[in-house]
Amino acid sequence: MSLTTLENYFLPGSGGEVVQLLQEYGERAMILAGGSFVHGLAARNLLPGVDVFIDIQKLGLADIVAGSGGLEIGAMARLADLASVSEIREDAAWGALSDALRCPPVQIMNTATVGGNIAAACPYFDLPTAFLAIGASVRTEGSSGSREIDLEDFFTGLFENSLAQEEFLTGVALSRPEPGSASAFVKLETNANDLAIVNAAVHMTVDESGACQAARVALGGGVNEIPLRSAAAEKLLTGQVITDELPAKVGQAVQADISPMADHRASAEYRSAMASVLTERALRSAIARMTGGN
Amino acid sequence: MKQLISIEINGEVHELAVAPQDSLLHVLREELGLIGTKKGCDTGGCGCCTVQIDGRAVYSCMTYAMSVQGKPVVTIEGITENGQLDPLQQAFIDAGAVQCGYCTCGTIMAARELLATVPDPDESQIRHAIAGNLCRCTGYQKIVDAIKLAAANSA
Repeated sequence: MSLTTLENYFLPGSGGEVVQLLQEYGERAMILAGGSFVHGLAARNLLPGVDVFIDIQKLGLADIVAGSGGLEIGAMARLADLASVSEIREDAAWGALSDALRCPPVQIMNTATVGGNIAAACPYFDLPTAFLAIGASVRTEGSSGSREIDLEDFFTGLFENSLAQEEFLTGVALSRPEPGSASAFVKLETNANDLAIVNAAVHMTVDESGACQAARVALGGGVNEIPLRSAAAEKLLTGQVITDELPAKVGQAVQADISPMADHRASAEYRSAMASVLTERALRSAIARMTGGN
Repeated sequence: MKQLISIEINGEVHELAVAPQDSLLHVLREELGLIGTKKGCDTGGCGCCTVQIDGRAVYSCMTYAMSVQGKPVVTIEGITENGQLDPLQQAFIDAGAVQCGYCTCGTIMAARELLATVPDPDESQIRHAIAGNLCRCTGYQKIVDAIKLAAANSA
């Protein structure tokens, strides 16, 4: 039973109607996509002041379109829909995504949406970390039109994002990766259904000499109030020839960029130690993919 | 404020007055008396409320009733045809995969999506498909055996 009592549940048919409802109800309204996260908050009475849901399922934002520029993912695409895209399953450059999509149970894969997973700004989710490593931008619609926000600028705090009050997320765009790229994601959790204690993802592009041309290292799972990139780890990795000693050093480097939280899942010290371990593992996994393994 | 909606459950369309915060689970059990779908954690963690919407296994506790208008819902009560048990139901009996039984209906509904998409699953595919369903009795082995048996019997 939900502890939150709602006054109304809207199913608008267009983006314009959604914006109108957001204007009318302000902070009383919450956008509902799949509902898996919102339900969890409502069940625990953690939606103070919210008494109107705006379900955006009728907007037709469920398509995933692969083009020459990259991938356009509608906000209402389910995690299962994303996992079924052949390029995501097969392209080593997007390996971090297919890794992250192996984590949730089937019922969540069938319910949770890509847009909801991002808009929730929950630092314990897996997809944001994978998207940050791969490089993604968020598409929105609001009272002043549409805009595109780099995912790195989207997360502003614990459960807080940079959407305006009268704006909602309509999709996520991924650019097509450079040739010679690979990525990987790893997660530490207490059981098959739980949120991450720490997660990490690495995306890298390697040139013909075996040197790392470009790298993106991302971490989540409460290593900060938001999922983030580690500039120190990326700097250490970029330009280096990949050696067996390098991943551990890159793992250590993330310490400069994280400030882990403590909660019932783990202490800050444990998260800190695991952030280095998981970064090292993600990098080793990406390197293995680069060299043809999987 | 309640709203009048229509929902298709097990092939039958029901007109219902639901509150905006009502879950599909609440409507199934409390409004329609379809108590085969169990209420466990009620927060999307245990799996005993699993039903199929558009053929996909979902937690009915975290699905708002308002959101399933126009989408066919199948519950455990809807998988028996003309008094004939679904192959999964029969296999759970034959393999002894039921102890207290509380998780059984949800687990069968999760396994049903698996067998519809992967008719001959291996053990890791079976275990992945039921990872969202907790059982505190069986240790899972006989559940896995039952799903294998159902797949073999349906081949």
